[in-house]
Amino acid sequence: MISNDDSAALLERVRQAAAADTPLNIVAGNSKHMLGHRQDVAQRAEALSMLSHSGIISYEPTELVVSVRTGTTMKELNQVLDEAGQMLPFEPPVLPASTLGGVLACGLSGPRRPFAGSARDYVLGTRVINGQGQDLSFGGEVMKNVAGYDVSRLQIGAYGTLGVLLDVSMKVLPRPEAELTLVHEAVPDDTQSFAAQLRRPLPLSGALLIDDRRYLRLSGSEAAVSAAARILGGEQLSAADAGIWQAVRDHEHAFFSNAASGMQLWRVSVADHAPALPVSGTWLHDWAGAQRWLRSAAPAAEIYKAAQAVGGHATRYGPGPVGEPAFQPLEGVMRRLQTRVRDSFDAQRLFNRGRFHPELDSLAASQATTEA
Amino acid sequence: MSAEPADQSAARVTPEYHPEPHGTSTADAGNVSLRTDRLARRKRFAKELASLVPEGAVLASEEQLRPYESDGLTAMKATPLLVALPDTIEQVQAIMRWASANAVPVVARGAGTGLSGGALPHEDGLLLGLAKFNRILELNRELGYARVQPGVRNLAISDAARPHGLYYAPDPSSQIACTIGGNIAENSGGVHCLKYGLTVHNVLSVTVVTIDGDLLTLGGDGHDSAGYDLLAVMTGSEGMLAVVVEVTVKLLPVPPEAKLVMAAFDSVEAAGDAVGRVIAAGIIPAGLELMDNPAIIAAEAFAKCGYPTDAAALLLCELDGTAEEVVSQIERVSAVFRESSVTRLHIAASEAERLLLWKGRKSAFPAVGRLAPDYYCIDGTIPRRQLSHVLQRMDELSKEYGLPIANVFHAGDGNLHPLIMFDAGKPGELHRTEQLGSQILQLCVEVGGTVTGEHGVGVEKINEMCVQFDADTLTQFHSLKAAFDPEGLLNPGKAVPTLQRCAEFGAMHIHHGELPFPELERF
Repeated sequence: MISNDDSAALLERVRQAAAADTPLNIVAGNSKHMLGHRQDVAQRAEALSMLSHSGIISYEPTELVVSVRTGTTMKELNQVLDEAGQMLPFEPPVLPASTLGGVLACGLSGPRRPFAGSARDYVLGTRVINGQGQDLSFGGEVMKNVAGYDVSRLQIGAYGTLGVLLDVSMKVLPRPEAELTLVHEAVPDDTQSFAAQLRRPLPLSGALLIDDRRYLRLSGSEAAVSAAARILGGEQLSAADAGIWQAVRDHEHAFFSNAASGMQLWRVSVADHAPALPVSGTWLHDWAGAQRWLRSAAPAAEIYKAAQAVGGHATRYGPGPVGEPAFQPLEGVMRRLQTRVRDSFDAQRLFNRGRFHPELDSLAASQATTEA
Repeated sequence: MSAEPADQSAARVTPEYHPEPHGTSTADAGNVSLRTDRLARRKRFAKELASLVPEGAVLASEEQLRPYESDGLTAMKATPLLVALPDTIEQVQAIMRWASANAVPVVARGAGTGLSGGALPHEDGLLLGLAKFNRILELNRELGYARVQPGVRNLAISDAARPHGLYYAPDPSSQIACTIGGNIAENSGGVHCLKYGLTVHNVLSVTVVTIDGDLLTLGGDGHDSAGYDLLAVMTGSEGMLAVVVEVTVKLLPVPPEAKLVMAAFDSVEAAGDAVGRVIAAGIIPAGLELMDNPAIIAAEAFAKCGYPTDAAALLLCELDGTAEEVVSQIERVSAVFRESSVTRLHIAASEAERLLLWKGRKSAFPAVGRLAPDYYCIDGTIPRRQLSHVLQRMDELSKEYGLPIANVFHAGDGNLHPLIMFDAGKPGELHRTEQLGSQILQLCVEVGGTVTGEHGVGVEKINEMCVQFDADTLTQFHSLKAAFDPEGLLNPGKAVPTLQRCAEFGAMHIHHGELPFPELERF
């Protein structure tokens, strides 16, 4: 692994860009180019590459903490953790060339999320460059820390619009001793059937519904996993077939590649027990029904309305028709507040202009409060 | 809120502390006019507020205000201008609009068990008591959540959920009294957070009222929400960003089995080393607590729970899960302890004994309180590998100041609670205790830790924040605060120090060879 601290150069680049008012597109492996809006070429933004800022800064397996430069690839990081018998518990996707910085900026978590927690849950501290080119450190390398606002977790899923993530400290956990997957027959799109299993003290670590098959993954000690398997019954998947978790996580499963023209891929985030949404298309249910993948030709507005009606939100994966937003639009007081939050980190809108919620880019809407 | 019983904390301290600038003495004549002015405002505000809340919900007489003059950090006291006790969200909204229009500071308060002065009143401000918001609105067994008002006590949620086989995981030691609203303000932990996480990991959504009186829900019914993760930043924000008026928490299935292993060691280092080995073996205990000899002796004298008082250090290691899992983990943990030169290994034989052994640990604070007229509880977190260095350095400081220290330690996650024993009746001893406390916190930062693991900054640790954060980072905190509260009316003066204050504190935090806050004059 290449270990290189490029923070001084990155800070300098940001300072120059701030002085010249040149927008920056933060990029590393570009594996998540399908997420968010394509940036407007008219903006003449420059790329700020994080790839040369890579390597593990410190790793103490007995402290359950790893500190990493964000340009480190997921593959390399996972390998180092694996050798120590540990893992990132939120099971992030590993796309070709994807980096930890990209995973965290996009706030992505895998199948284990409902049972183990999300990307933000495992972030302990961050080092960030804000829109003024300042070098800031939040949180730390310890598990309990309530000094100052939790800016580290606020950065997760902000698509780089609250600053450039330089270094991150994460909590890690031991890999489970044993893991197995059970398959049951199910009624297609019946996510309610998960509820009964979720409220039992079983060592669940995954819950998928694909067509008429329900997949439950168990993780823990050998004894606990086999005892739970006896309780749940059903067919046990072979190790090879259990690759379905990784395939769904990384969108390699056939559901994600069957791209009929005019169909778009959506991620709908709702309560696991939310009713089936009245949108035509095909569905794949992960997170026991709380993360629903949808292939649909329905207009964005219809999908946003349906998600909102059940207290959730939707995100489009991939390009869409001109003018249709890729993220559930923010409105009213929430939009004003989030705009001010963006103001407080990046008043100039230097970072990833246009990529995330475009309504937060608008300076006119902001009630400038950058001076504390 | 706090991790330890607040009524026992930093207690019985007589000298009154007045946060600057209020209450500091100027000319007598000035004081009189100041007092007259305050009384006039109190009268006018009480009248205005009375039209916004039910009868009796505005407190404005000195006798009525006295119970609110401090929280669990009783060394610091201030009388609020007045107290309002609303009982509906609409009333909170109306109060906030009123406060905003009149530029009146607002300090929110739950049960007042906090140990860092986060709910210390503002002398020119309104204390917003949320005690009447004490109802569990919905407890959904099938879907595993509870929707509660902010004044509901932490333990009341688990008590209500337990008949359904569920519970709320974070369990600060003050859980019998502290409220969920306060838990969100402090991002409270507890003895089980190594495995089950902090408040931030167990809250699904909160509804807040902003300083403008707007109602907002942060988080949602799903596992995430659109835009920025404002739920994350609200958690642990010490009442600085908005007032929480409703909370939805995750309920977990009660583990079918919980067992406790007690292991004694003849040095703190050996016990610390054993903790590292347990984790290296891939085991995450539900709780992993370390006590040093002074804490063991105090707890045993208080709770008579069977601790070996000759041990230099004692570990309590709880394992929970399915019966099969617990059996296998007990075996593995016992093996690890035996490899780590344990001097005594004991597995609680019954549920009664398990609870008794926990009782000793959970009463460590009041127990230490019996050994000295007063004690002061510190709350730093350190990387665990620094434990022996920190304990050794603390021992030196203890001798230097002539003040004994007992230590209880959430060993799994590095959260250290040194208890400084002192006598507030002796002139200057409180002051020296605070100085020693500050030294210990600075030591925590020095070794890569933090000045507060779970009790919050409040007013107590505001100076030490200058050591942990540089000027740019503090400025960024203030900007973020301004996004929520542009006029700075919510809990002013807490949690994040001004740069001016840091310059006065004079913490020489040399960053990249530069003097901190070089733009400010020195005095």
